[in-house]
Formats: sequence, C-alpha cells, structure tokens
Amino acid sequence: MHPSDEAVLAETRRQFFGRGARGLGALALSSVMKGAAALPHFAPKAKRCIYLHMVGAPPQQDLLDYKPKMDDWFDKDLPASIRQGQRLTTMTSGQSRFPIAPSKFKFAQHGKSGAWVSELLPNMAKMVDDLAIIRSMNTEAINHEPAITFIQTGNMNAGKPCIGSWVSYGLGSMNQELPSFVVLNATHSNPKAPVQAISARLWSAGFLSAQYAGVALRAGGDPVLFINNPDGVDGTVRRRMLDSLSELNMFKFREMNDPETLSRISQYEMAFRMQTSVPELTDLSKETEATYNMYGDDARKPGTFANSCLMARRLAERGVRFVQIYHRGWDVHGELPEILPSQCQDVDRAAWALVQDLKQRGMLDDTLVIWGGEFGRTVYSQGKLSATSYGRDHHPRCFSLWMAGGGVKAGIVHGETDEFSYNIVRDPVHVRDFQATILHLFGIDHARFTYMYQGLDQKLTGVEPASVVKALVS
Amino acid sequence: MRCLCLIALAAPLFAVDFQREVRPILSDACFQCHGPDKASRMAGLRLDTRDGAMAKVIVPGKPLESKLYQRIMQENTALRMPPTASHKVLSDAQKATLKAWIEQGAPWKEHWAFRAPEKPAIPAGQNPIDFLVREKLKAEGLTPAPEAGRRTLARRLALDLTGLPPEPKEVEAFVADTAPDAYGKLVARYFDSPRYGEHRARYWLDAARYADTHGIHVDNYREMWPYRDWVINAFNKNLPFDRFTVEQIAGDMLPNRTLEQQIASGFHRCGISTNEAGIIVDEVEAIYAKDRVDTTATVFLGLTLGCATCHDHKFDPLSQKDFYSMAAFFRNTTQNTMDDNIPDTPPIVVVPSAADVPRWEALNRELTAIKARQAQLRAIAEPVLAASKDLKSPIEPAAEVFGWREEARFKKGEFKSLPNQKIFDADKPFSIATRIFFPEGEDSFAVASQNDPERKGMGWLIEISARVANFRMTGDDGKSVTVRAAHLEQMKPGTWNHLVVTYDGSREQAGLRLYLNGRVILLQGGGDVNTKITGSISAGTPLLLGRERQRGFEGGAVSEFLIFNRVISAEEASLVNDWPKPNPRLTYLNLRDKEYRKLSARIEALNAEARQIRKRGGVTLVMQERTDRKPVANILYRGMYDAPREEVQPDVPAVLPGMKADMPRNRLGLAKWLVDPANPLVARVAINRFWQEVFGAGIVKTAEDFGSQGTAPVNQELLDWLAVEFRESGWNVKHMLRLMVTSETYKQAAVATPEKLQRDPENRLLSRGPRFRMDGEVIRDYALSAGGMLDAKVGGESVKPYQPEGVWETVAMNGSNTKFYRRDDGQKLYRRSLYTFWKRSAPPAAMELFNAPTRENCTVRRERTNTPLQALTTMNDPQFVEASRSLAQNALQAGGGFDQQLDYVSMRVLARPFAANEREVLKRAYVDLQAHYERHLPEAKKLIHVGASMPDPSIPPAEFAAWTMLASNVLNLDEALNK
Repeated sequence: MHPSDEAVLAETRRQFFGRGARGLGALALSSVMKGAAALPHFAPKAKRCIYLHMVGAPPQQDLLDYKPKMDDWFDKDLPASIRQGQRLTTMTSGQSRFPIAPSKFKFAQHGKSGAWVSELLPNMAKMVDDLAIIRSMNTEAINHEPAITFIQTGNMNAGKPCIGSWVSYGLGSMNQELPSFVVLNATHSNPKAPVQAISARLWSAGFLSAQYAGVALRAGGDPVLFINNPDGVDGTVRRRMLDSLSELNMFKFREMNDPETLSRISQYEMAFRMQTSVPELTDLSKETEATYNMYGDDARKPGTFANSCLMARRLAERGVRFVQIYHRGWDVHGELPEILPSQCQDVDRAAWALVQDLKQRGMLDDTLVIWGGEFGRTVYSQGKLSATSYGRDHHPRCFSLWMAGGGVKAGIVHGETDEFSYNIVRDPVHVRDFQATILHLFGIDHARFTYMYQGLDQKLTGVEPASVVKALVS
Repeated sequence: MRCLCLIALAAPLFAVDFQREVRPILSDACFQCHGPDKASRMAGLRLDTRDGAMAKVIVPGKPLESKLYQRIMQENTALRMPPTASHKVLSDAQKATLKAWIEQGAPWKEHWAFRAPEKPAIPAGQNPIDFLVREKLKAEGLTPAPEAGRRTLARRLALDLTGLPPEPKEVEAFVADTAPDAYGKLVARYFDSPRYGEHRARYWLDAARYADTHGIHVDNYREMWPYRDWVINAFNKNLPFDRFTVEQIAGDMLPNRTLEQQIASGFHRCGISTNEAGIIVDEVEAIYAKDRVDTTATVFLGLTLGCATCHDHKFDPLSQKDFYSMAAFFRNTTQNTMDDNIPDTPPIVVVPSAADVPRWEALNRELTAIKARQAQLRAIAEPVLAASKDLKSPIEPAAEVFGWREEARFKKGEFKSLPNQKIFDADKPFSIATRIFFPEGEDSFAVASQNDPERKGMGWLIEISARVANFRMTGDDGKSVTVRAAHLEQMKPGTWNHLVVTYDGSREQAGLRLYLNGRVILLQGGGDVNTKITGSISAGTPLLLGRERQRGFEGGAVSEFLIFNRVISAEEASLVNDWPKPNPRLTYLNLRDKEYRKLSARIEALNAEARQIRKRGGVTLVMQERTDRKPVANILYRGMYDAPREEVQPDVPAVLPGMKADMPRNRLGLAKWLVDPANPLVARVAINRFWQEVFGAGIVKTAEDFGSQGTAPVNQELLDWLAVEFRESGWNVKHMLRLMVTSETYKQAAVATPEKLQRDPENRLLSRGPRFRMDGEVIRDYALSAGGMLDAKVGGESVKPYQPEGVWETVAMNGSNTKFYRRDDGQKLYRRSLYTFWKRSAPPAAMELFNAPTRENCTVRRERTNTPLQALTTMNDPQFVEASRSLAQNALQAGGGFDQQLDYVSMRVLARPFAANEREVLKRAYVDLQAHYERHLPEAKKLIHVGASMPDPSIPPAEFAAWTMLASNVLNLDEALNK
C-alpha cells in the first residue's frame, strides 16, 4: 500500500465504529446525524450497559415483590375490586375462577436497605445494597412478542430500533476492534422450562443504519458470523490477500474517485483486526480461579448464562457500549414451583458475580446493569392450584426488575404494588419511563434524541409522554 | 460554515421555490401544532393550507408585518416559534428563506404529490430523460460525464436487467459489434432472459414482505412460494403494472378469476401472523388490518398513512378516519385470526404441478358434482325420515371393533386398564371415539394410551394440554406424528366433550383428523409436516385410560371408548357424537341411502387423491372476501383495539380523487381506484422505485414517503414525465426500463471529479453514471455465476443453502418446525438467492449483513452500509470460498498459462481484462501464495475442499489453493462488489 494512503485509511477506519459515520463517509452525516450530533446532551453517568433480559417474564411475587398477606388468601378468588375488569389472555379468560396462589417460597430482608428477596435468589439478596429494585414497572402488552418488542424497542410492533442500537447510534463506539453493541443468547439448564421465542428484531437497528444493529456473539461455531478464515487459510495468507486487495482497490479509487472505495478498504482492514481481537475476547483461559469461583463452574461452559456474564464483563472492558444477554425459559404458566428454582439457579450467582466483578474492577460506577423481564405474572393461579403447585399467567399491570451501577441510586426499593401484587399503588414506572431513565443515565435527553424516519422525529420512547425517574438516579 | 452563510445571503436574491424550500420548513417546524391534526392544533392556526396560512399570520410582501416572521424572530424565547419544548430550531438560513418567500408575495402551491403529474414539454428530437437531467445539471453548473466503456456498459446492463454478470462471450460480441443497434440488441437480449423476472421479483418481494414463515412466536413454515413464482412470471411476461396491481390487491375478486389471479392476491397474505396462545382476537385483527393499510399505502401511494392510526396525521392531510376507511377494505376477510402454526392457513389455493392440472380440474369437477348430488339427496331425504329404532350402531357398516361403555373417574394416581387392542397398525386406517370429562388445569393430561416405553414409546396417546386435545402416534423407531387442535378449540373446564380421532394409514400427520363434539375443528401445526412414521406402532401393552407412563388424568373421567377399523367421515363423527339420538336425516342418509353412502366414499377417495396432487404441486395463501357481510371498520380511539368508535365505510383518503361510481366499495374497487388515471401517486411512486433500482436512489429519495416530510423530488419534471409516460405506455414496465437504460444519462461513466463530489456528492443529479454496492443477493448470485455454479432452474419451493450452524436454534421456540436448519444438498445449494428460505425471526444470515430487511413489514428502500462484517462474509462464507475455488478450477481447466487464466477470472467477474499494474500485483500475490501452499500442502488441500462439491483431483493442490485465493481476491474487489 502506498504510504500516502495510510492517512486516508486511518481517517476512514476511524469512522466505521466511530461516532455515527455510516460508511458513506462524511457526506451522509448531515442528514443522518441530526439529533445524535450533539450527544451526550449532558454529563453521562453510564458509559456502557449490560442488560440481562429474562425472556418469558419472571413472576414478581415469587422473587422480588413480597406479599405475605396472600398466605391467608390461598385458593380464594381474586376480588373483582382488584381485577377491575382488566383484560386477560385467552389462556385464562375461560377459567371459571381465579384462585389466589401465594408464593410458596420464603422471603427475608437483606442488607442495609432491608429489601425483601426470595430464597430463590440468595446471591442477588447479598447485594441488595448495590441495587435499585423497581417493583412498579408496568406495560400495556399482555403477550410475549409485543411485550418484549415494546420494552426493547419502545413499540409493540416490529420494525423499530432497540435500546442497544439507539445508544450505539447516539454515542458511537469506544473501541476500534469490536462492534459497539453485542448480543449473547444464553442457554438454560432445565429442559422443561417453558421457552419463548426471541428474534433478530430484538437486536435490530430498525430504521437506523444497520451498523448499529447488535452483533450476536455465538457460543457455538464462529463467535461472530464468518469471523474465522476458511480451512487452509491462516493469518499470513489472509494478510497477503488483503495487501493485494487494498492495492488493487486503491488503483480503482484513483480511477473512479469514489469515497466509498476508501471506506471499503478500511472495512476490510477492520475485519482483519476483528479476526485477531475476537479470538482474544472469547478465550477465557486466562481468567483466574478467583473469577471462576465467583461466577461458578457454569462459567466454564460456553453459552451458559454464567459464561455469558463473564463474556459481558470482557466485552465491557474492551469498550463495547451495550451488551444484551437473553436468558429464556421464564414463562411459568404451570408447575411454577418445579421450574422457577432451576431458572433462578441459572442466573442468580452469575448476575451477582457480574456486579461484584465490575465493582472490584472499578467499572460498576459507569456500567449500568439491568436484570428483568418484559411483564409480570398473575397472583391467581393459571390452571390447577394445589398446596404444592401452581402456575401464573401474563400480567402487564406490574412487574419487578432491578438496576445497578451506572449512576443508579444503590440500595433502594422503588414503587409499590397492592397486597395482591396486581395494581401499582405508588410510583409507577412505565416501560417508557424506564427507557427514558436508561437514556438519561447515558447523558441523553430522550425527548431530544430523535431520528427522522417516515417524516417523523422518531424516538425510543415513542410519541406518548415519558419521564425520567429521578428517584432512581444517584 | 461558509456554505451555510452563502445560502443565508443568497436566498433573497433568487426566487424562492415554495415547494422545495419553504414547505419543508413549515412542515418540519410548524405542522406538528399547526397542521392537519385538529386534535393537537394550537391557537386555531393551521399552516398546511393556503387559507389557514394567509388568514392570520402572513401578509404577502411584508415579512415584518407578518406575525409568522415576527414570531420566528422573537428575542424572547418564551414567545419564539417554534417553542423550545418542540426541540425544533430554525437556522438563520431557514429564517432568511421564509422572509424572502413572504417578500416575494408568499406564493402558495398545494403539495406537489397530490397534484396530477403532467408531462413537461420536451424539445423535438431530444431524449426526455437526458433533456430533463441535463437541464438540472446546467442549472447547477455541472456537465455530464462521458459515456462509459463498452465493457462497463455491458456489465452494468447485465446487472440491472438480470442481476447477474454478463457472459464473457456476450461482452466480446458487444465490444466487437459496430452496428448502431448493438446496444439495443444487448438490452433486448437481457429483457428476454428469464433472469430478468427473477431480478425484478427480488425487489418486489421486499415490498410485499414475502417470507417462508409466519413471523411471530413459533414462526413455523408457511407455504407461499407459488406467489413468488407468480411475481417472477408477471415480470417476465411484462404484465402491465395496472393489472399487476389489481391482481395483487383483488385478484380473488375479479370476475371469472383465474388460478393465477387468485395466487396474485397472496400479496396481502404475505403479512406476519401469529398463533401465540394468549392473543386477543380483536387486537390481532386490528394489527393485521394495519399491516395491510400500511403496506398498500407505502407500496402504491408512497404515503405514511399508518401515522394516522392513533390520531390525524401530523404533517399530511390524512385523517384518522382516512386510515380506518382504508382499513375497512381489508377487514372483510375469511382468514382466521390465528394461523394455527400450519403451512397452509386458509384461505388457500392448491397449485398443481403442470402434469397434474388436467386431473386436478377433473377431480374438482367431480367433487363439485358429488356435493351437489348429496345436497339434492339431503333435500329429498327430508320427507322420508327413517325410523332409527332398529339401529344398533350410529354408523354402518358396523365398523366398531372395540367398545367400552362404562364410566371411569380418576383421582390422583388412578387409571383404568383395558385389554390390549391389536387393531392399531401404522399402515391401517382406524378411528377412535371417546367421551371425556375435562377438569380444570393447565397441566398436560394423559386421557388414553397404548404404548410401550421399552420400545421408544411405540404406540399412541390421546392427550389434553393447554386445554386442547391432541393425538400422537409413535413408531418403534421413536419417530412420531401429532395432530393437535387449534388454540381456539379449547375445552371448557368442568365439561364433557366428545372427541373423535381418525387415521388413514398414511403414516403422516396429514392422515390424522380430529372432531370435537361432532364438529370439524381447526388443527394446529407443529413438528415437521414431512415426518413419516417408518416403524410399527403395534404396542403389546394394555390400553390405559387416564394414564401414560407417569402421567395421569387427575380429576378427569372417560365414559366411552370406541374403536373403528376405518376412517369415519365428518357426518359419521357427528352421528357418533349424538348417539343414541342422532339426527334422523343424517342417519338415514349415512346408514340407509346407498347412493349417498357411495358418494361419501367417493369423496374420501377423491380427497386422498387430491392430497397427493397437492403434495406434488404446491399450496399458496390467498385472499378471500366474506360474502355474509359488507366491509366496514371502526375508528379505534388512539389506535386501541378495545376502544372502537364511529363505524366507517371503506373509502380512500379524502385528499385524493375519490372513488368513481363504477368502483365497488370493496377491495376490487380499491384496486381499480389505485390504477385509475386520476390517481396522482401510483404511477409516480412505482416509477420512482424502478428508477431507484437502476440509479441507486429514487428521484424522490424517500421512496416510502411522498408526503410533506419526505424529501422533495430532486427533479420533479423528470418524475412527472416518467409517471405520465408509464401510464400512457399501458403501464409497460419493460418500456420504462428500456427508456432508462438506453439514456445517455444511464450510460455515463461513473467517474467522479472533485467538483462533482462537492456539488453532487450523492450523485442525486446524475452528473455521472450510477455506481453503488450491490444487494447481498446479487453479490452471492454474482459469485455463484462467475464460479459457474449457479443453477438455472426458475421457480419452485424455497431452498436451504449454506448457513452457519445455530442461527435458527438460538432464537426459535421449542417445537417450531423451523428450529433446526437442515441444509439442502446438490443443486439446491446453488440456486439464486431469491429462492433461499426466509425465516423471519432469523433471516438468511449472509443477506442480513448486507442490509436485507427481515420481511416482517414492507420495505421499499434498503440501506446500503459498508461494514467489516460484510467483508468477513465475502471472504469467509463457505459459499463464497467454494465459488472462488470453482472459478479457479474453471480457469485452470481452461489452461493457457497465468495471464490467460487471470483473464478467464477477470472476464467473468469484471467483464474486462486486468491492466498491467493490476496483473503485476496479482502475479506477486500468486507467487507468494503458491510458495506458501507448496510449503503447507495439507492446508492447500483443506482450502480446496471447502464446500459440498468436489475439487478436480488432477490439479496440483498448491497451485489450486493459490488460485482459489486469487479468485477470492478478485471477487472481493470493490469493483466486483459494486455495480
């Protein structure tokens, strides 16, 4: 390659994962960067986020929303005054009665904050003073597909960008070798756990440029699609091929003057660097015993939730802006007491380890960690209720999740539901408020963070009002 | 910065163009509160109409007296417009433009897109496209580029008309042909290629949101490919675009409709559908209707009508009522809300293979005749109601081979054991009828079974789970087939239900049927529909009621269990259900009327034959209008399905010319209205997309939005000329594309100069020829074609070429029949990319990286990014490596030494020989690579064995591997990836 071209390349190279440049070079910036150009709007607290999404919706009554009075209500009908004619899914709307199923799991208070946490989450319980537990989350969506699409993209219908894409688009990347938004799909251990679908739309960039889409880091095969050279091609062969490729492309650039050609050369060079950095990223052999002691032995198995959490920390260390982990199997319509413990076991220790690990590395202050699902579950049993078994249907009116680090106020419990964990009685946090708050922690004003599409200034929080939950911000 | 100042100063000097300069400012900054939406209009002021704007706040000629100008110039931020809360800020240049516009008398024009296009005058002898493009260039002080070389032209043309590289011999013939019509001949040649229709269809399938799965939740297989074939054929036979439109919107409603026209109506069956158990019917139906309105508005009208779902449109004169009036056209379908996870969710049509067509038609004629005769028999049977006193059984011939008529109630752990029944065999038909008490519960209950856990569970099982019945048969090889009632066929807790299972001995799911309480019920799909039981199901274990292995039927009961040695018909299922008090007329017909019974048997036989024909051919989803009511819709308050308001009749948006008297108020009327000459949008929107395909960007860049917030046409005279010409040509697509590709504008070289890069950076003005990165499908097809691997077959069902492992499994639901990707073999690996199986929740991985949409909703404009993940794909994806190797192999087999071999490669990829400096670079690379592989022979062998096809063993591996890398190098060139 001509040395004089190096500078040009360095410039275009910077652009790909850099702020907002969409490969088209500076030309398209003016139209695309509207809204994002002045980001962040104010000093951010969080630089990155690791979002642990429990797909299928964990039951809040059995985990984070303690409702001791329900023990007296065993098998009694949910009062109509509580249900208020609310719509139900077609799975339970035909039920002749709605018998209340108290949680069969024990709760205890923990930490200085004295937050009540279920015995199923002993490790998370240890760190309640690091967490802001929200018990007053709510949504309008009553089925998984719309609900998960809503909480991830701000809209129940497919086609909008997800949070990770918005944040990557707005703030760009902090590294030169890896994508700014990475998705990990973790396995679950219990084959009986009721699995819900996820799909590429949950890490899609929607109408934003595709470069902001989440890149799935895969546990089997190539960790990033096509990252590995084909059999029989090693690094030297690839380098040799790229050298001649760049040289030929430079000839073409001099002939045609198309800035895209320069951009293409830099993308191939970036690809080459990713081929080195991704194997280094996914090689966990140098992690210490102490680390494995924290995350548990599961972390050694590729694809487990613990392994994904450890990987998430490595990604965060390397400047990846947004890491999304999906863990499935939480859709406990029936046989909840059999299924829920194994689901909790999959995630409890690793989520705790992740937060502690970030903390000990001094990264928790600017890394936001979120744990939660897409809606809540009903206090009444779906299907047969017995002393030992019950199930819970979908419930949009309230659910619980927690946030930690990244400027979140630690050691608080926010919001409250009624004694049935059915309606919110204090400090509701709508999904849009939750999204506005996440953006706020990143130094972004959700109302000003827009992208023109279909003639509309599109926002993550959509057109309905949303507000930052200041009480959650430290 | 300098640029901005220039505009600010320059603006007042020239006549301000309201359309291009003023209206966009008003739209973006003001319409939100002073626009069409009356609900959010502030101060009673609207600025989207002339009357509204001139009434209060504008004094033409006098900006300083105009309130509009005063308010935008306000020092006091509390009074300044637009207000701070809107987050909109006017630049100085924008303010200057508004000022100049008012000074110049505030001329007003209705939004351009709602006015009918008119052809601008073209001087005699001038090519209209070239004339209009050059007028614009002249105005901008730019000059066109010279004509591109012949090789470049041949390649560009082949790519635009066929999506494939040109054959080297075509290129050479064209280069050598000095006749004046040489280019025209090449154009004609590509138009005649079946590749033309495939290439055009690929673009259309994005707009039609075509895919091979349902899209939501379980995301099972959907059989829809005959629609894709229809699109390909429509382009190949140059179906006029008006008919193309009408048949897709309402082909099913045309008088004397053909099968083809019905298939075309599948356009609006391409939308996503769901079978998620918890859905609320009204909500999902509202979503389906919205998808159809959004798609129709985007594809044909270029309007964002969907923005008026919850409120009046904020920028365009489209009311919420307009949205729901359009929705009404689509809310009169016989389609069920839930897709039942089956590939052929009704309404469907069977598309027999060509060979089967005569028999298919005869068979249907016979079925129609039989059904008519049976209806007659039913009518005349009325007076001869037979006494059924002497009947011993509800059906005859007495097929009952086992009957248990007691009642068993099951507490926890209880069950009833009956003797083993030998009748069950995978090759023999049978039926089971049983009465079941369904207790409360979401558990899965074992109602009855006869299976052997020791032998992989061979046998059968009747089960209720999630409140619906299902029947599973398992062979001793562990393979099983299941038939399952649809979600909406739930049993009510605490009720007795009558269930009939029938099986025809075909070893497959399609041979099983369920009847609940004497009714034919909807079934849901699951598992692989192609699975066949290969082993035996004849378990030697007892027949258990209320038990299967460890599972029971706690709280449930069974009161009758009958087995028949044949398939019983739907009418018989109802007789068995009603027994001992069956409908006398049906009893007479089915038990005593010999002719009726013979006809029933014949129907069964014909149905079995029909199933085979259907299997050999295909099935495709179509639209079907309900005949029992007229289409209507309700306005949904804030778009909420559970807040229906005023009822509205089907109608088109009020801002556009209305429907004429001869247009029925249904989908057919809508279709006719779309292509009526009075419609100002459809021709423009369609021609803009064809322009976009060829030139890389539309004349209206926002191909999906011709409204106020869309980009204004960069050359409206050109767009209008093309639109009118399109209509006047009889909506002739090939004619229009021919006009485009034979223009001087198209034939320009793509070389950019610094001046052009500055003044026309995106080449919107076409100051040079089009050059842009090809779509992912084209890049793959291109490599396959250059490598000599592309399979020429046109049409047919989707194929599964190489895909990295785990792409489907990671996201799929358990039980989805698209959870595991089973790669095809042989020629199916090398079909054109538009035939690749499209799973919506995990679209073809390599194409997605090149900006292919998910096909979950309508897309008329793809993005074109340039990323490292794309580079990794074309370098490392086995299909590209294999294509490179195949290209290398063909070059080596052609022989002639390095230079000739290099020519072989470059002619196929670039349609030109390499220049000396390029050759030198590649020669050096080859020497290094060849030396490397000589030293690492096992590596060389590995490389040439990538892919399913076998390499030529006679070629020395080191040379072969080095050439493979060289070919890959050429396929990865910027020039190869670009048009």
